[in-house]
Amino acid sequence: MADQPTAMERFIQGILPENPTYRQLLGLCPTLAVTNGLNQALTMAGAVLFVLFCANVMISLIRDLLKPHLRIVIFTLVIAAFVTVADRFLAAYLYQMSKTLGPYIPLIIVNCIIICRCEVCASKQGVVAAGADAIGQSLGFGLGLSSIAAVREILGTGALFGIKVLPAVWPDWVIMVLPPGAFLTFGILLGAVNWYSARPSKATRTN
Amino acid sequence: MNATLRDNNIVQAWLVLLLAVCFGGMLAGVQLALGPKIELNKVNETREKVPELVLGAQAAQAGAPLAVEPLTVSVEKPAKTVRYSVYEAKKDGALAGWVVKTAGQGYADRIEVLIGLAPDAGSLTGLFVLDQKETPGLGNKIVTDEWRGQFVGKAVDRPLAAVKGGAKGGSEIDAITGATISSHAVTSIINTAVADLRQPLAEKARGN
Amino acid sequence: MAEITQTMDSADRPAAPVLHVAPSPHLAHQALTTRRMMLDVVIALVPVVAMALVVFRGYAVKQLVICVLGCLAAEALFTRMRGRTLPLKDCSALVTGIILALSLPGPAPWYVGAIAAFVAIGIGKVLFGGVGMNIFNPAMVGRAFVMIAFASAMAASGYQDAASGVDAVTQATPMDLFKLTGQVTPLGPMFLGLTNGSLGETSALACLVGGIFLCVRRTASWEIPAGILGMVALMAGLAQWADPASGWTVWHHLCGGSLLFGAFFIATDPVSSPLTPKGKAIFGVGVGFFIMLLRLFSGYPEGVMFAVLLMNGITPLINRWCIPKPLGLR
Repeated sequence: MADQPTAMERFIQGILPENPTYRQLLGLCPTLAVTNGLNQALTMAGAVLFVLFCANVMISLIRDLLKPHLRIVIFTLVIAAFVTVADRFLAAYLYQMSKTLGPYIPLIIVNCIIICRCEVCASKQGVVAAGADAIGQSLGFGLGLSSIAAVREILGTGALFGIKVLPAVWPDWVIMVLPPGAFLTFGILLGAVNWYSARPSKATRTN
Repeated sequence: MNATLRDNNIVQAWLVLLLAVCFGGMLAGVQLALGPKIELNKVNETREKVPELVLGAQAAQAGAPLAVEPLTVSVEKPAKTVRYSVYEAKKDGALAGWVVKTAGQGYADRIEVLIGLAPDAGSLTGLFVLDQKETPGLGNKIVTDEWRGQFVGKAVDRPLAAVKGGAKGGSEIDAITGATISSHAVTSIINTAVADLRQPLAEKARGN
Repeated sequence: MAEITQTMDSADRPAAPVLHVAPSPHLAHQALTTRRMMLDVVIALVPVVAMALVVFRGYAVKQLVICVLGCLAAEALFTRMRGRTLPLKDCSALVTGIILALSLPGPAPWYVGAIAAFVAIGIGKVLFGGVGMNIFNPAMVGRAFVMIAFASAMAASGYQDAASGVDAVTQATPMDLFKLTGQVTPLGPMFLGLTNGSLGETSALACLVGGIFLCVRRTASWEIPAGILGMVALMAGLAQWADPASGWTVWHHLCGGSLLFGAFFIATDPVSSPLTPKGKAIFGVGVGFFIMLLRLFSGYPEGVMFAVLLMNGITPLINRWCIPKPLGLR
């Protein structure tokens, strides 16, 4: 396992170079569904952080016991357990938010980011690397969600975190908080990210 | 013997089974700890609105003590029996009003509302929209204070009607511009519930 | 795929000769270029614009200026960002701007037209690769965006302004009036265009004059408006037969709303409609079907925009169905 990335590399990679939203295009269901406000987006990212961290650490601890043909079953079992905990916890302490997020918290179970990290990292590396990976990926996911949510919320309601920031004359672009707004915003931001990273850098141009 | 044991599906899956049992226990614990709180949240969501709907926002802010009693009222209709969940609000032992939870079809999806009624069920004391998925920017204005405020104090001896371009008092409600269907939906939800419940609630009030 | 590589190549080699690919009919007019077709459309729009100016006066001027300038600015900006030159010469942005303006309600605030113009050109056209590459009619993409974004400015109430000095704007549109209250507007004003509505849609006469000019010039294919009008007449006939008491006849359906404007100027967009005559007829019938479906059974009083966008989406499929067989092939 000498060629596996270190914990620090895992952490850094998750945030930008392998950003789950813009680079891996994983977890798009919540990305499109709960980004009509920053509050929802960050709660979602928090729930994913909790689930991913617990699942990664847990899988990493038992990685030597995994059998290849049963590993997905175990991943799913572990993820489902922690997702249920997160769901109940939100319903108990953030009831309104859990109503707003609706089915998307339980749906973290089928979120590909988590099963992907379990497969790629946690089932092969130690606890520290797996934990760092989970935090990095979750931060990257949170960054992806909140960037989309910020654009949608400010255009759609003139507010950020539910607090009005634009003057009252701002005409709310209702479409931005509706599903089409999610697709448009995500597409345009994804295009912008690709355009930015595809620009020939100075180093390559001189070659 | 050893080989057959190793190939056995159950034995291979020992880790799955063990984890399932552990997680089952863990989730049971979580449910035991948090279940009552979640149930309470659900009840409170409705119950918290009762003072405002019966007494009005200002009196509710002042913290008037209200005793709220949930009950179910069944109404016999020609085809079926309809059950309403009703909250009875008492202030210092005297009946202060009723809050009825009901729902009906809106423009986009079901609209769920709480209706505040005076003790004799003869007039409205408030309206609150619990859940709706009407068009943002048009139909979802049914949740605004200004629009809901029109319902306060309306007598319900005649059915309410949502009209376009300026309500002329009486049983008329100003329909939201561009969202006539949503406005009609809310008034008809109220009309149905009130028509069903006026009699039984008024009787209950006299009985108290 | 081949097309895309071609265009990319041509971007790299600026001096490469431009092979002009335009839909049929090629044979009748060898000189048929995008610019020429677009100018034809502009000429055909003259009676419609004139009628809009007469009926809606200041409102029409305002929306036309905003939408045309918005579309030209957006086209210039976005093509520049893509590193292309001479974006405005083919006049397609001008046509998109005029059609967009004519499809908006007069009293809509300035930002509605401006945003619609940028969305029409940016999301409707440039994102797909510019002129000739777009799947959906750009003007209708822009209109759909603002219709959902600013629902109150674009719904029934957005058309009406009781305090307005322009007569037409003080009334409800005939479609809304019928949908909401069952009142029937007389056919005369609807035909001439003295009623309220989107700027270009009110006058059936102006749309017919411009539309027939387009068909005669073969800039627009007659199959599309024929399919739309035929299907609408058929379904409106059924509706009238089912409910004769309503007073809303086939003629009301044909003259009302943006049907004629849509049939002649929007649905006939050569880029987003099928290529073969048979495909065009199918396209027209489909648009007509959806228009009537939306008019009769949806919450909206009018359905031309959504019908055209829906059928635009099916156009690639229609093109595959209607590949003409080479002579002699069985």
